[in-house]
Parts: sequence; C-alpha cells; structure tokens
Amino acid sequence: MSDTPSHAPVKSIMPKWVRGPQDFVGGVALIAIALFALWASSDLQGMRGFSFGAGTAPRMFAFLLLGLGVAVMVVGLLTEGAHLAKYHWRGPLFVSLAILSFALMIRPMGLIVTAFSSFLIAALGTPETKWTETIIVAVCLTVFCSLLFPYALGLPLQMLPKFMIR
Amino acid sequence: MGDVFSNLSLGFGVVFQLVQWTPAFLGGVSIPIPVNILLCLIGALVGTLVGVLPGIGTIATVAMLLPITFGLPPVGALIMLAGIYYGAQYGGSTTSILVNIPGEAGSVVTALDGFQMAKKGRAGPALAIAAIGSFFAGCVATVLIAVLGAPLTKLALAFGPAEYFSLMVLGLIFAVVLAKGSVLKAIAMIVFGLLLSMVGSDIETGASRMAFNIPELADGLGFATVAMGLFGFAEIIRNLDAGGETDRQLVQQKVTGLMPTKKDLLDSTPAILRGTVLGSILGILPGGGAVIASFAAYTLEKKVSKHPEKFGHGVIEGVAAPESANNAAAQTSFIPLLTLGIPPNAVMALMVGAMTIHGIVPGPQVMQKQPELVWGMIASMWVGNLMLLIINLPLVGIWVRLLRVPYRLMFPSIVVFCAIGIYSVNNAPTDVVLAGVFGLVGYWLIKHDFEPAPLLLGMVLGPLMEENLRRALLISRGDWSVFLTRPLSAVLMAIAAGLLVLAVLPSLRKKRDQVFVESEN
Repeated sequence: MSDTPSHAPVKSIMPKWVRGPQDFVGGVALIAIALFALWASSDLQGMRGFSFGAGTAPRMFAFLLLGLGVAVMVVGLLTEGAHLAKYHWRGPLFVSLAILSFALMIRPMGLIVTAFSSFLIAALGTPETKWTETIIVAVCLTVFCSLLFPYALGLPLQMLPKFMIR
Repeated sequence: MGDVFSNLSLGFGVVFQLVQWTPAFLGGVSIPIPVNILLCLIGALVGTLVGVLPGIGTIATVAMLLPITFGLPPVGALIMLAGIYYGAQYGGSTTSILVNIPGEAGSVVTALDGFQMAKKGRAGPALAIAAIGSFFAGCVATVLIAVLGAPLTKLALAFGPAEYFSLMVLGLIFAVVLAKGSVLKAIAMIVFGLLLSMVGSDIETGASRMAFNIPELADGLGFATVAMGLFGFAEIIRNLDAGGETDRQLVQQKVTGLMPTKKDLLDSTPAILRGTVLGSILGILPGGGAVIASFAAYTLEKKVSKHPEKFGHGVIEGVAAPESANNAAAQTSFIPLLTLGIPPNAVMALMVGAMTIHGIVPGPQVMQKQPELVWGMIASMWVGNLMLLIINLPLVGIWVRLLRVPYRLMFPSIVVFCAIGIYSVNNAPTDVVLAGVFGLVGYWLIKHDFEPAPLLLGMVLGPLMEENLRRALLISRGDWSVFLTRPLSAVLMAIAAGLLVLAVLPSLRKKRDQVFVESEN
C-alpha cells in the first residue's frame, strides 16, 4: 500500500514554487472535499442551545478536514517532496467500465450474462490479455458464480435475462 | 480464574456444537455435523486461498469474502470471518516466503528472510516455522483474551460517554502514531473517514445529511461497499499499473522437506517467545495490529541476535519472530473490539461492519448478553489456528500452483466476484457503482501516498464518536471541559495529547521511521 511513486524527476506540470507537488495536490483535493461537505451540510440545523443539531458534527469534521487539507498543502509548498505519480488510464478505465456495466446490466440481464460480459470488459484493462484463454476462464467463472452465490450461499440472485423469464 | 475456564468451556461448547442433519436421501437417518468447526475450516481455507493471491492483502480478503457470510446465523458468520482473517494472514506469509510478494503489509518483513530461505531450498522449514510460531502465538493470545475479557468488560461498563469519546480519540491517535508514513496525512484520512460516516440520516433528529436525495444514501454509505472499493478495486487497479507479471520470481524448486531441523527449532524458540509477547502487547493497543507488531519483532530480533549481520540472508529467527508477532497481534486486537466495542484497526473495523449487518452492536453489552457469541468466537480462534497448522502444510503445493495463475486472468475474476458480492448485500446496483467510485478514490489516495486504512477506521468510529460527544455534552450542559474534569477521561486525553506531541517530535519520528526502514535494508 505504500509504494511511494517513483522519485525519477518526471516533467512536472506544477510551477516551480511548488516543491512537493504530490502533497500539494493532495492537500488541495482535501480542501475541495471539505468545502463540498460544508456546502452539502449547509442546510442542516446547527447548535440548539447546548445540544447538537443534525449539522453540527458534519460541519465540525468538515472544518477539521479543511484545516488539515491546508496543512498538507502548505507542507507540499514548503518542503521538498515526491512528484506527482504517473497515472495509467487503461486499468482504471476498463475496471470502472466493467463495474459500471455490471451495475447497469444486473437487473435487466441477470447474473449469467452480466458476469460474463463484465469479465471480458475488465480483461481489456491490460494489454497482456490473450482472448482464447480469457474466454475459457470467463465461462468457468460464470458457471462457478452462478452455482456459488444462489445455491451454495443461498443469495436470491436472478440468473437469466428478464425477457427470457417472461 | 474459574471464570476464565467456564467462559472458555462455554466457547468450546459452541464451537464443537453438533447439528443433526437429516438429508432426505438417507431416509430419516440423521448425521451429527459439527457445523461451526466446518465453517471455521471453510473460512480458513477460503481465506488462505484468496490471501495467497499476490497483491491482495488481509483487509481486501476480508472485505471481499464478507458477503459469503451474510446468509449464516450470527455465531457461524463471525466464526467463519475469524477463520477467513487468519487464513488470509497465513496466506500472506506463504506468498512472501515463496514469491517475495508480501500479500499484505504485515508480512513484508517475513519476505526478507523467508524468501532468502526459499531460494536456498529451505522454503519448507520456513513455512513450517511460520505455521508453528503462529500456532503458538495463537494459543497464548487466546488465553490472554479469555483472561482479559471479563475485567475489561467491567471497566468498560463504568465508562460514561465522555470516557468513551476520549478513548476513541486515543485509539485514533494511536493508529496514527503506529502507522507508517506522514502523521499529518494519516490524521487527514481519519477525518475524511469521519466526514464520510456523516452521510445518511442523523440518529437523533432523523434529518437526511449530505445524501442528495439518493435513496441508497439515506442509510449512509455502506461499510462493505467502501471497504471493497478502497481495498478491493483500488488494489486491482494499482496492480494493473505495475504490469503484473514482471516482478514475479517464483521459487521454482519443489518445496521438499517440510520438517525443520533440530537446530532450526532451537534457534527459533526464543524468537517465537519474544515475538509472541511483543505482538500480544502491540495488538491490544488501539491502533496497533499485525503490521507494526511484525516490524517491531523483526527489529528486536535483529538487536538481540548474536549475528545481526546474517539477517536478511535467510535466518530462521527472521521468519519465526515476525510471524508469531503478527499472529499474536491479529488475535489480541480482538480484545478492544469485544470488550469496549472499539475496533483498533481496519480489519477489526470490518468485523464491526459484519456484526452490524447481523444486528449486533459490539461492546460490553454483547459480552454479557450474548456470551455464547463472544466466547464461541474466542474458542474458534484457537481452533482456527490449529486448522491452519493442519491444513496449510500439506496444502502448500496447491498454494504454490495457485501463485502461477497469471494476473491477467485473475483480476477480471476478482472484479466480477467483488461486484456480485457488493450487489448481493442489498440487491442495489447503486452500491456497485459507489464501490467503483471508491475504487478510483482509493487509487488516487495511493498515488498521493495517503493510507486508506485510517479512513476506514474513521468511518466506523464516526457515528460512535458523534453519539458519545453529543451525549457527553448534553449531560454536562454544553460544557466542553467535561473531557478534562472527569479523571478517567482526562487521563486518556492526556495520553493522546502526549502521544501526538511525541509523534511529531523529530527525534522520535526518526526512531519510528527506523523501525520500518531498518527492516527494509
């Protein structure tokens, strides 16, 4: 979990006065999250006398996060730190797509179709995929899951597409 | 002392409980089946199976397998989860010894000497010592839990809301101090987790908070969902970055000769003892856990050794000490969870999540009202350790073969498996999307060197902290000094403040980092 992104000096898009871009951006993002939370909880009731309202605790934590975000940002400005790590697009994109398509398909299409197609979409996430073996494994996994979840674990999952059941 | 025995025997009674099974095809003949033992066995097996997969840590394993326990009765589910946890840990050590890819942070140090031993053809003894050390540590820790359980529960019942709040603050500070990396960023992650836990409806007023009228958010962010995203999906995405195959150097020789020699046993006995003691202590501390225990045990072993220069070149003490320590800590970290209801680390936070799903709120009340649940779980820990010893050594060959499965085939399977798991919790597609979002968040966090584990801890403790803070202030009529005027609370707060100051002091930080760095070269 702690692989510090490579120390090789990559071309940085950050201006020179930012000495630790990784922390700087991290801090800015935390600030953004905190501000968003403050905005989202602004409609909630605050303190009533000495008892907490619904909005007190969220705002308290949001202000704390705001302060911590500023601190992380300042650390990133002032101390020499790691550069921004290199992002890869392929893995995150296809894994996200696989998850998204699973969520969209599971209701109308049932487990069998969904598991199989999500497997194939996820497999696009690496250039190393060899399609014949991938398809064989996808079939095996689909069979395994359609036996394990509904039968062995007794979870009520719909197996076939809706239009086939009707 | 009598208490301890009666409690333990109650626990073993639960574990060895037989259920009469009358299958139709036998025509009315019933067979007694030790259901809980079977569940423990299956849990340990499946946990090892997933834990062995490189790049999947303990937290990810437990998160991923959480859904398969939903259909079981509470006692069975918790026993199985405990089995999964030990299995995952043991699986992690197997990969670090055989492939030099620690499945989880706790077994990073095991890889140092374990892999060197494997390279010399001594993988067998290394694995055997890891199992024996873990088993011994497990036995000691089980007894420790049984002994400490009752008195700590009594203490916990004397706690008021102010004390509880202070204790949780202390726990979170401990988690920061004992973690690896920047203190500031770890605190930021905890607060982020606390903030995330606020999503949903307010306990007292029922007002919807930051839910944006999304019905699935009305009850708050699902704990399993976030954990699966942050640890399951994020890890997968990150492993794809690394290009999976390149750095796998599997030990190709056959693993032969499992039995350690007499010299091995002699060398490792003191190491196992020291590791167990150190691990048990570090495990009880809030925020402690397997990771720090194994690092500290390795460092200690190197310090007291007569030949420290041999460490890192395959000495058996370098495997025995951290493995015993991390197993002892894994187990004693159940103590704060079961007695105080406060999870000391991310895995225990997951256990809380599992308990809540079964309608159990961990804490001193559970210990009193459902003793069979708590003691059954404690007894199952010992049984689980015994099973690991029995099943793992003969099955090493299978685990090795599993390691040869290429990542390009493994990761889509994990993605699909996780997706089905999350969906099955509530039958809600939105949960799956949320988990995906948290996968990306987790990937971003890793890229910016933020640890996701404190976030999870913050998220579990959030509602508890809010509730106790509210109650404490209500009782004190809005007076914030209550945390400092009640003696017990003041002591806890003072320890927390002291720890935080120490952690930021440069001299101590150096020492803390040393524990982690020293064992790396």
